[in-house]
Amino acid sequence: MALLEAKGLTKRFGGLVANENVTVEIEKGTITAVIGPNGAGKTTFFNMITGFYEPDEGEILLNGKSIKGLRPDQIAERGITRTFQNIRLFKQMTALENVMVGKHSRLSAGMLGILLNAKRVREEEERARVEAYQLLEYVGIADIANEEAGSLPYGLQRRLEIARALATHPQIILLDEPAAGMNPRETVEMTAFIRRMRDELNLTIILIEHDMKLVMGLSEYIHVLDHGQKIAEGTPEQIRTNPQVIEAYLGKAATEVS
Amino acid sequence: MLSILPQVLIDGLTLGFMYAVVALGYTMVYGILEFINFAHGEIFMVGAFVGTEVLLIADSLGLLQEMNPFVAFLLSLLIAMILSGALGVGVERVAYRPLRNAPRLVALISAIGVSFLLQDLVRFTEAVARNEFYLNSPSLFPGFLEVGGFAQVPLKAVVVIVFAIVMMVVLTLFINKTKWGIAMRAVAQDPSTASLMTINVDKVIVLTFLIGSSLGGATGVLFAQNYGTIDPYIGFILGLKAFTAAVLGGIGNIRGAMVGGVLLGLLESLAGAYLGPLTHGAFGSEYKDVFAFSILILVLLLKPEGLFGEAVKEKV
Amino acid sequence: MVKQVIANATGSLFKDRQVPLLLTLLWIASFTLALYILEKSVLAFMGILLSLLLVYYTKTSQTVKVVLGALILLVLIPLVAGDNRYYMEVATQVGIYVAMALGLNIVVGFAGLLDLGYVAFFAAGAYAYAIFATAQANHFIPGDLFPLGGEWFWPFLLVGLIVAALFGILLGLPVLRVKGDYLAIVTLGFGEIIRIIFNNLNKPINITNGPQGLTPVATPVLFGVQMNTPFYYYFIVLFVIAFIVLANIRFERSRLGRAWIAIREDELAAQSMGIPLLNTKLAAFAAGASFAGVVGVIFAAKQTFIDPTSFTLMESIGILVMVILGGSGSIPGVVLGAAFVTILQVQLLKEFSNFLHGLNSSGVISLPNQLDPSKFQRLVFGILLILAALYRPNGLIPAKRNINDIEAIKKSRFAKEKLGILANLNEGKRQSG
Repeated sequence: MALLEAKGLTKRFGGLVANENVTVEIEKGTITAVIGPNGAGKTTFFNMITGFYEPDEGEILLNGKSIKGLRPDQIAERGITRTFQNIRLFKQMTALENVMVGKHSRLSAGMLGILLNAKRVREEEERARVEAYQLLEYVGIADIANEEAGSLPYGLQRRLEIARALATHPQIILLDEPAAGMNPRETVEMTAFIRRMRDELNLTIILIEHDMKLVMGLSEYIHVLDHGQKIAEGTPEQIRTNPQVIEAYLGKAATEVS
Repeated sequence: MLSILPQVLIDGLTLGFMYAVVALGYTMVYGILEFINFAHGEIFMVGAFVGTEVLLIADSLGLLQEMNPFVAFLLSLLIAMILSGALGVGVERVAYRPLRNAPRLVALISAIGVSFLLQDLVRFTEAVARNEFYLNSPSLFPGFLEVGGFAQVPLKAVVVIVFAIVMMVVLTLFINKTKWGIAMRAVAQDPSTASLMTINVDKVIVLTFLIGSSLGGATGVLFAQNYGTIDPYIGFILGLKAFTAAVLGGIGNIRGAMVGGVLLGLLESLAGAYLGPLTHGAFGSEYKDVFAFSILILVLLLKPEGLFGEAVKEKV
Repeated sequence: MVKQVIANATGSLFKDRQVPLLLTLLWIASFTLALYILEKSVLAFMGILLSLLLVYYTKTSQTVKVVLGALILLVLIPLVAGDNRYYMEVATQVGIYVAMALGLNIVVGFAGLLDLGYVAFFAAGAYAYAIFATAQANHFIPGDLFPLGGEWFWPFLLVGLIVAALFGILLGLPVLRVKGDYLAIVTLGFGEIIRIIFNNLNKPINITNGPQGLTPVATPVLFGVQMNTPFYYYFIVLFVIAFIVLANIRFERSRLGRAWIAIREDELAAQSMGIPLLNTKLAAFAAGASFAGVVGVIFAAKQTFIDPTSFTLMESIGILVMVILGGSGSIPGVVLGAAFVTILQVQLLKEFSNFLHGLNSSGVISLPNQLDPSKFQRLVFGILLILAALYRPNGLIPAKRNINDIEAIKKSRFAKEKLGILANLNEGKRQSG
């Protein structure tokens, strides 16, 4: 059984069909890319998986259990988390606190425990702090733990966002354009980091990316969306030579010429 | 109980048309800036005071008796519209524009501040000028209109409704037919693309405040004619109700604001008249404001896009 | 020239915005003495209150600051101003608003929910006590059991807290589904609805006695002592503030406080980090409301009379001004904002008003009744809100983020092994090794 199954997902906005009958299966421990031209419905697909949009039709199964209709926080609790295309950090919090927020659903302190400053709560907090710091170390930005997130340079913000997502202790992490706005050297680093993360942390990774070099080099399986529909899937090799994909990217003319 | 129905309906329509025109001011600004101009009710109030002062001054100079009441009314309406329009533009320039890129709540806080500041400024002005803070407006249209033998419609109510309709028609024509109106709609749809199309977004925003505020001010004059007495606090509750009307119709939607206003006015009037008798006096007309606020809350919860708005989903 | 000298002097004196301890002590001593000698001096009294701010900025350890603050509040002020009812009354009022502003700070400052109907919770607490501490409850509970005696004041602090928290949850459930600036309008509407209901709930069953209000509300009794002077209320309020400040500090540094701030910063990102929006917002609403409820009980007891006019929108706006002006989300800022606005209202404007009345009656000027400065509330609030929004959106003392002690984290006993998802790293090593 696949870890995550999206079956026949359809999402309409008024007259616009953002996703139509999209079916995707994700195996545990893989790196999968979702690609497609602008406006193909990739982010809509992510938003359905993470609970921000409820699909009009279709089903989403995690470990065989439906997560359709759950709220984003419930889905995060079940082990699916994400980063955002346009980086959404908690700007006025420090980097360390940002990561600690990610621990939210793994902590249990309630109002009364907090007010009484119970021993259990203090210990839980200390553990959370240590873990957050370890995560910052892991993504290589421990030295800015006490900096305000909003004031960090772009590349570090991307890393911080990943550290924060890891704090939720996910099974699956969805990366929405993780290398957007990065220079070639940073992109190479990010590629290596994503692979290392998968290998070391037992993660399953799904990513949206426009940088084809990154996609082809990193992902083991690729799904291609165009105009809200899935037009192809396969290994990077298969996708590279798929005429439909080339057409979607380059237009009709390209296939006719070749 | 039915014998008062025509009167209740007329009251409701009069009130509703006033809500509708004020609601236009909220909805136009919201459509373009996604910002609740909390002080719009006070602009309405200032319009009421300006218009009434014009009439009172004309009266004290002995001019009012010699004027045709319609001429006097139009004159007060015009001056009120000019001054409240200018005030709206000034408020935007001083208190909102510097905050256009600030978090939305900061701009809202500034607007709340403007709202209270204007209330007291008007109170001070009147206190210095007349040693009172409320005004009694000279009544220009005291008569009644006999309709079909079963209802007496006060002339002033007819004036309110007719003028409100005229203003709404003119506004609709302006927005749909003129260059600036189309520019306004473009900015409301997509400010960055509009500015690429060489539309001056700042000018459009100023124009929006100008139109919305002068319509609000004009409604103030209608209000003063209809109810006779005004004070610096009339704008607050009426503004809230008009905002409710705008939400009810679908905020950002001009037609929605008109329909929402009239609907809310009617509902409120009916509630005020019949809530008491229907609950055997347990909940009387004192609950009519509760009724209006409940509508606001219910609409925001159940159909936040309003009657005519389109559902929008926050962009992730 | 002179300006520059002063600037240099203050510059060297207040390095890193810190005041030398000696100066603070000197300040406290001189103003205490001044107030002792010149009993009626407003300036001296303000000087003492200001000394608290000075203590906050003093260059010394946290413990010394707390001790100094406690010394001023618990010993100096009651000792020097204790038999002056007026000053104790002012101090108590300041305290009441500080407590409420700290409650609203949780809702507006931490969670970023602009609540314009906050006074409703204050009203809920006040009525919860007043209804049972007057004969009013006999109208709907048979047995002629009421009014309750003043010793019931103490348990009712808790009752007020719970009632207001329940109010917060009940109101919050529908209201908190609404977002951003709409929330402001809806809470405003709800605040008005509650006031209208309290104003009219003298029929069909007389619960609140409507516009006539409730009186006489029993004053607190402790060990047989009638605590009916400002002197006692001062200490009651101080005790409650201590509790609320502590709660604010603990919340801010907790899982819940982080969730509130995360929601304020970015709702969508907060959700995807596993934070349930509605529950977390409800918690903020309930916490903020419960503090207002406790203060409401004290208010009802102190005034011995309450009616719906004490719970108007202006009260909500006033408390909001305190939070925004002081520094939304900043505990010291909110305390300063509340103290500043309250003193401005109850003392400065009143003094100014008395001054003008003096001129008025001696015929120097003629003052229309409407221009009486004690009625400047809206003007002052309006200007403060606009100025704060334009020039100091983060307030007089902006919120500081928690700086964590990295060395302590490294030395923690939990740091020995990898935690959370990083525990997989150890497993991987074990497998390969």
